[in-house]
Amino acid sequence: MRVKICLIGKGTVGTSFLKLVNIKKEEFEQKFNLEIIVTSIFEHDGALIKENGINLKEVLDAETNFRNLPYWKKNVSAKELIPTLNANICIETTPTNSKTGEPGLSHIIEALNHNMDVVSSNKGPFYIEYEKIINLAEKNGCFVKYEATVASCVPSLGIKENLIGNEILSIKAILNGTSNFILSRMTAEGVNFSLALKEAQELGYAESDPTLDIEGFDAAGKIVILANDILGWSKSIHDVKIEGISKITPHAIDLVKSDGFVIKHLAIAEDNELVVEPRLIDKHSPLNIAGTLNVIELETKYAGSIILMGRGAGGLEAASALLNDLLSIAKQRKFLR
Amino acid sequence: MNYEKNRIMITLEVKLPDTPGSLVELIKPISKNGGNIYGILHYHDKKINDLIPVNITFELSEDIKEISLQNISKELRKNNIQIENITYGIEKKEIIVLLTGHVFDTDVLDTIKRLASKEINISELNAKFTELKEVSNVKLKIEFPENMTKKELINELRNICKEKQLFLITG
Repeated sequence: MRVKICLIGKGTVGTSFLKLVNIKKEEFEQKFNLEIIVTSIFEHDGALIKENGINLKEVLDAETNFRNLPYWKKNVSAKELIPTLNANICIETTPTNSKTGEPGLSHIIEALNHNMDVVSSNKGPFYIEYEKIINLAEKNGCFVKYEATVASCVPSLGIKENLIGNEILSIKAILNGTSNFILSRMTAEGVNFSLALKEAQELGYAESDPTLDIEGFDAAGKIVILANDILGWSKSIHDVKIEGISKITPHAIDLVKSDGFVIKHLAIAEDNELVVEPRLIDKHSPLNIAGTLNVIELETKYAGSIILMGRGAGGLEAASALLNDLLSIAKQRKFLR
Repeated sequence: MNYEKNRIMITLEVKLPDTPGSLVELIKPISKNGGNIYGILHYHDKKINDLIPVNITFELSEDIKEISLQNISKELRKNNIQIENITYGIEKKEIIVLLTGHVFDTDVLDTIKRLASKEINISELNAKFTELKEVSNVKLKIEFPENMTKKELINELRNICKEKQLFLITG
């Protein structure tokens, strides 16, 4: 069967998604009899639109010159055109505006209002208007999936299905690779915060403005999504008590070393409270991971703690999570053989 | 190692031969099995058959209490030391926290006294400075009463830290 896709956002994640679809499309056709057709690719200043399917290789080969392709339509917006698109699934990968969730929030609402299923790697809309999105999807009989919003391809949301016979009580996690890299460097090398941040920026792990990462807002958004999705809470980012890592010094790290502790930037959902702050943890704890990795510890009622760990960022990592969600919807819609 | 530890005070009553080295044979198994020795009392005036009654008091972490006591008893028996009686004391909880900021300029004694007024005791304080004007980092080992929850303790600390603009890191 054919699934028509509308992709919004052609940045690192959007482009990686196109690459992955291009790599996997034959396999999916043979294995599942599923033909993935991308009919529109939106950017902030226009869109590539082709009703019978865009040649992905052509778009990928054009690299940043994709606007020169003949089916590029200048100055059209996704919000405007969604009602006219004949797509089954909208893939939302635009950058997050941490305060408003826009423009992703409007794209998702518009897609759901026009009975499109939604797959998103954009977390802003979900930590700001989680309930609104979920309720709208339910009302319109649409699927909305967002595994890529938390820890990328690590199945932190999907795990819920595998624990349906258990009960998840609380969550402790490291959800931001940048702040974890900085603390790991400070712990391993005794360097100060500024130097570790500079190193992270040079290696491409931190943005030129790293505020969202180091002050805990990025992790806060993710713990909101995790708590709402797998604990069934109804929280927004405004409910999270947030403390960053910029006040941590090498001396502080050194002082607790002799007691077997390390300092980690934890995101915690426990006792109906959401917190992102530096915490002392046992150096032997599974949460003591180094570098840019993410880790999630789920405390369950009948099986103790369960740990998920992996790369929480990266284009292909997020793209593979998007593709998983897409296939999951296709399966639920009985598009797969 | 857990962030929060319940510690229990234990007193063993034993009888030791009045010979050199016998005290070491009593102490060794206790410290080897995680006991933190607080005191030893010899009752020389109650010596019978060359055996002196001795009370040794030590602290054990609640989580290893059972296994440690089993090992201690076994090793003492091997050294021909019989335990006459075991007394368990009051359980104490202990946590470690970090304070960053002008911990000393904001009157650390006042901080300690205010905590003590709520039966929260600082059992250890370690500090690191760079310069006098710079912030200091202070590690506190804190004992708090059995009837106080960790959350209540942390709230007490948070209130003081908020007032004194100190950055608190807990477990």
